[in-house]
Parts: sequence; structure tokens; C-alpha cells
Amino acid sequence: MAPTLCFNCKEARAVIIRPKNRHKLCRACFIEVFETEVHETIIGTNLFFRGERIAIGASGGKDSTVLAAVMKTLNERYDYGLELCLLSIDEGIRGYRDDSLETVKRNAKQYDMPLVIVGYGELYGWTMDQVVEQVGKKGNCTYCGVFRRQALDRGATRLKINHVVTGHNADDVAETVMMNLLRGDLPRLSRGTSIVTDSGASDVKRSKPLKYAYEKEIVLYAHHRQLDYFSTECIYSPEAFRGSARTLIKDLEKIRPSSILDIVKSGEDMAALVPAEVRGTTKSKKSGAAEDEPSGGCGSQNGRTSVGEMAAMEQQLSANEVAESNETEIKLPAAQPKAKSQPTKVLKAQTIKHCERCNYISSQRICKACLLLDGLNRNRPKTAIEVGIEDEEGSSTLMRQMERAHLSAT
Amino acid sequence: MPAKELKEPCMECKDAEFQITVRQRKLCNSCYKRFVAYKVIARMSRYRPYGLDQPRHQLLLPVSFGVSSSVLLHILDTDRQRRLDESRLVGYDFHIIVVDPSTVSETARASFDQKFELMQKSFPAHTFTRVPFHSIFDHASEMEEIMREYAGTHFKDDTSLSNEQRLAAFRASISTATSQADIDTILLTRLIVAFAKKFECKSVLWGDSDSRLAAKALAGVAKGRGASLTWQVSDGMSPWGLEFEYPLRDLYKAELLQYESLCPELSDIVIPDQAPSENVLTKNLSIDELMLRYVQSQGAKYPGVMANVARTANKLESSTSSAAATCALCAGLLGNTEGNTGVTVANQAQDNHSSQFCYGCMRSRPEELC
Repeated sequence: MAPTLCFNCKEARAVIIRPKNRHKLCRACFIEVFETEVHETIIGTNLFFRGERIAIGASGGKDSTVLAAVMKTLNERYDYGLELCLLSIDEGIRGYRDDSLETVKRNAKQYDMPLVIVGYGELYGWTMDQVVEQVGKKGNCTYCGVFRRQALDRGATRLKINHVVTGHNADDVAETVMMNLLRGDLPRLSRGTSIVTDSGASDVKRSKPLKYAYEKEIVLYAHHRQLDYFSTECIYSPEAFRGSARTLIKDLEKIRPSSILDIVKSGEDMAALVPAEVRGTTKSKKSGAAEDEPSGGCGSQNGRTSVGEMAAMEQQLSANEVAESNETEIKLPAAQPKAKSQPTKVLKAQTIKHCERCNYISSQRICKACLLLDGLNRNRPKTAIEVGIEDEEGSSTLMRQMERAHLSAT
Repeated sequence: MPAKELKEPCMECKDAEFQITVRQRKLCNSCYKRFVAYKVIARMSRYRPYGLDQPRHQLLLPVSFGVSSSVLLHILDTDRQRRLDESRLVGYDFHIIVVDPSTVSETARASFDQKFELMQKSFPAHTFTRVPFHSIFDHASEMEEIMREYAGTHFKDDTSLSNEQRLAAFRASISTATSQADIDTILLTRLIVAFAKKFECKSVLWGDSDSRLAAKALAGVAKGRGASLTWQVSDGMSPWGLEFEYPLRDLYKAELLQYESLCPELSDIVIPDQAPSENVLTKNLSIDELMLRYVQSQGAKYPGVMANVARTANKLESSTSSAAATCALCAGLLGNTEGNTGVTVANQAQDNHSSQFCYGCMRSRPEELC
């Protein structure tokens, strides 16, 4: 049988079936099509301006490695005039992070980009290994997720860069849309899909240029360009649940490959339909990127929920209903017509404030990171505490550590 | 006579043994029926009568002979009858439209004439209209042209054939299960809308249960039709100037099945749901089916979470700009909703060369246009 020719150039032999639309392409055409689509995303959304300094959030995984490679290629090919650097977070997980950081260090050399590594240890006084020692393997992802979000912002601020690009792909975005619909989380539904998320607190904005790129295509791209990436999952996450949304999206992709993109499109449209009063913030003062990603998850877990979470929500919802039906029983009859004549429900709004301790963006008085640190520090064995800081609050520990933190540019 | 000794009395009337546990309340059969009916009647409060001189609202009720729409008919009819018996005002009349199930799907052929007659006898107070699916060519004549445009070269419309054959040819031109289910729903909606207009109805009352609405919301999102949820799942103004209402939105499918089992008069009318087949490959399901199964299986464990999906979708506000261009086929929005700066559409530029169909409809188009 004659080999199938590439759908695009009709010359070379097709070696790839594109997951997005099942086109058969040759290696060179696939790489070009993939890069062109990312380019179109960047141009179509006016993502960057000439001379902008961009930090690429690099974990050493496939997404961020592909992002770094594509950004470098496009920056040169289309002359964006961007100044690129790599920014990595060291959670302090031995056997996982130290290996992936080696990958990032090699990438920095391969792509000729400066690299900055910010550690949890220096930022918070706690590495993830220490956190796990304290809280156990269950629930530690919460700490990691909360700490990481702030860490990227803080790292970028140190570098005086106010635009961080991350490797979130279309699958991640689609998952987030489905998740937020299942969770009934309208504020997040309204901002989870947008390509740029500004932070009201710091001047650091986040964006995801790979938002329309399929996870499978990212893997293919990495493979065919023989990129050097690190593919082990976080050692603390293997027991993490592959949640409902994740499975659902995989099934959908089997039925109709375009589904992932279709969900992203629906998500974008619905975001614009979320009533203004529940969006959390107005356009001028958008809520922070920090609050955007669902709490309790690392990159590999982002937007997925555990069954426990679902059961908890179910319990709450049914309790609400019981409370509601109890309420009707004691309601004054006169109050009823008034309630009925109100056409729209009053929806609960989110307000964005700043943490009283570290001044980081938060919807509460004290941000999640400071709260978690409080808990950790309270239980820290006395013997492990350095002399002289027993009575310090978590926040001052944080401040002190921040002052001490120095960035080791490699 | 000594008072009745009840082991566990119904929590409402305290006068009978409880039979059914619903949402953590233990009720007797008649209180259960009242509970279900209340959930529906509460939704219908906007059609309450306001005065003797006010004309009654005219509403259209499509009935598929499935459990949900039959139960809706039963509840509304019972409520209306009670009002009349008590000499109270009635706020609305409803017309019942039946799109002959045998012309929609092949599985429901037998004994439908009998069922239809029985339904007419059981609910004599209402007017019934029964039409075949292919009468869309007669009642929504603009569809002819649109369907030809839409199917492109894959569908040769031979006007010398009967309407039935023409519709069959059009449906056969659509390749995947997902697209077929998607387009069938659109055509059915358009046929029903045509009748709603003909009868000068203000609203269409759809018999979708909460579970069904959740599945519809998830499927709509998965098919790129997120912007249309404001009338496909939420109560609200449809693009045709008719209100779409979903009075069963507070009831789970299981609760409707329970209600139906308590109404012997419905047992010979309702066409029972077919149990989902176990041995179908996921990739051969339609997206609508997949979502229905998903909601069913997850709903068994987390009914509240699933119910919340439909409630969340109901909170979305329909797009403010009514002047925006709409899709010739499904009447959904062309392009992006106002305020959406995403470039999903631009990314798929080749898909959208034809500007008269929306993103979702382009996905279901017969030819692979990419």
C-alpha cells in the first residue's frame, strides 16, 4: 500500500494523525501548524508588546518545556522583540523536584535563557518535604498549590518582570470549565477561560499562550522536536484522584476530537454571560491570577476534584435543601408574595481584598498561605525551631524569610 | 373508634403510614404526589390569573409520551381541574403537541395510535395536535432552503419524493451519532416553535427533568453551544420571541418515575425509557447520550451536585445585544458572545467560511469541513 501523503504539503509521507482533527500530516508540517496556531493565538489576543520582559513558568514538564521552545522559536521567527527568561519554583520535594530542576537547567542552556529558581524554603520557611512530614501525604497538595501561586508572583516581582506565561493547555482549560460548572462556581467560570489574568495585588499578570493547544499535540510536538523534558509525576500525587471532569473530557474526546476546543469556546462564551455582580470584580480591578486556579492541586491535578470533595458538596447541598424546607415552615405568610415578586435572585458576590499580613491578594482578611503557615508553625516541634523566633507569628517568619531570600541566577 | 396506630406516620399529614422517602422526608403516597405537583405549580406562578377580564395565557406543551412530559401534563391537568372544581380562576390554557414518536425514532413504532387515543380520552379538556416529524417541510417551510444549504453537497434534495423520504435523506447525510442527535433536536425545536407561533402561544413548556437539564447543559457545553444555554437550559426568551420554560427543573428523573408509578392512568400512555445498553463503545455514543449516562451514574451518588449544574446554568444572563446575527439553523449566536475576546473561532477560520451557521452547527455539519 502506498504511504499516505501529508494533508498539508502533499509531498512528504504523513507520520502523524493530528489529535485535534485527525488530519494526517508529515513531521515538518505538524511542527509548523502547531507553531502557527500558537502564533495566531498570540497575535489574535494581542498578548505581548514589543520589548516586554516575559518570565516563562518552567517546571521541566512537557507543557512548560514546549512553551519555552515555542516562545523562543516564535520570538525569533516573527520578531516579537520579547526578552524571555525561565522562572522555576523549587517546592523542595527530593526525588521529584531536584530532578526536574536539572531538566530546567539544561533547558536554560539549550534555549540560551536566564533561569531563576525560587524555593519554598526561602519564601515560606517550609519545603514540601517538611510539610509532608508534618501533615502527612493526605491533603498536602493544598499547601503546595497555595504556596506555588504566590511563589510565581513573588519570583516575578523579584525579577521586576510583570508578565508570567504558564503552560496551561486546552485540556486544562476545558477541565476547568467542566469543573466549575459541576461545582456551580460562577466567579471562576467567568474568568477561568480568559487567556490573560491580571492580578490586582501585584502588577504581575499571567497568561497561557498554549490555551488552544491539545495536550496530546504538546506531547507529539515535544517528541518530534526531541525536546528534553521531565515526565515523572510528582511523587506525592499518584494517589490523587483523576476526577470526574477529567474522565468526562477523555470520553468526549473519543467521541468528537474537537470537543476540547468546543468546551473552551463554550467556556469563553459563558464567561461573558455570568452576571456582573457575581464575577467578583469589575474589569478595571480584576481579581488576581492567584485566586484563579482552583485551590488544592498541583499542576498535574489542576482543576480536578476528588470524590471526597464531591461528597462534601453533596452533603452541603442536601443540608441546604433541608434547611430551606424547614425555613418555609416558619416563614410568615405575608412575606411570601414579596419574595415571589422579586424576579432575580440576589447572588453572592466575591470581593477582593489584601491579606493583612503579607499584603498578597485575597478574598479573606488573611490569605490562605498565611493561614496555612500559621497552622504549620503552631505545630512545629519546638526543637526544630531556631533560637529566637519561637514567639514570632507566621507572617513575620514569612517576611523575614523573604528578606533573606536571594535569587540565584544560573 | 380508637385513633389509628401508625408505626411511622407521614411527616406531612401524619395520617397515613409513610411510603416514600424523598429528600430526607418520609411521606405517604398522596403527600408525595402533592410535593411533586407543588414543585411544578410553583414554577408556573407567573401564569397565575390576575382578574376575570384578563385573557388566559396560551401555552404550548410538547408531549413525547416519555415519563417526564406525561407527568408534566398530568400535574398541570390535575391542578387546572381542581381549580375549576373549586370555581377558582384559571390562568392559562394549554395546547398539546405530539410529534409522532414513530417518525422521530425507529424504536417506538408499535401501538402508538392507541396511546394517542388514550391520552386524548384521559385529558379531554385540552386540544391535541399530532404531526409527523417530516411535516417540518409544511409547517416550517423556510427550513427546506436552510437544510439544503446546511448539508451542502452531501444531500440532494429531491422534491419529487415524499416529505418523509426527503427528511430521511437529510438525516442520513449527517454522519456521526452526536451530530444526528444534535440536528434532530434542532429540527424538533423548530417544528414545535412553528406550532407555538401558529397557535399564538406565549410560551413553550418543555418537560425536561432536572437530570435531563443537567445533561443538556453539559452536552451543550461540550458541543460548543455554551452561549445557547440561556434558553436551552435556563427559563428565558428564546430567539424566536417565545418564552421557553422548564417547569420540571426542580425534580429529578427518579422522582418523576416515582410519581408516574403512583398514577395508574398514566401507565398505559407512557412509553417507558429504554435501559441504556451496556455494550456500546464510548466512542459510538452521541455526546447527548454520554452526558445523560454521566448524569445518571453520578446522580445516583450525588443527586445534589447534578441538580446544581442546571441551577448554575440557569443563573447565566442572556446576551444583551439582541441585534447580533444569529445562526440560520439553530438561531444561536454567530461568532462570540459580547465580551468574549477568545479566538477559538479565528483559530478555526476554515470552519467558519460560511457565515450563516454558528460554531456548534458547523461542528455537526455533514462534511468534515476542516
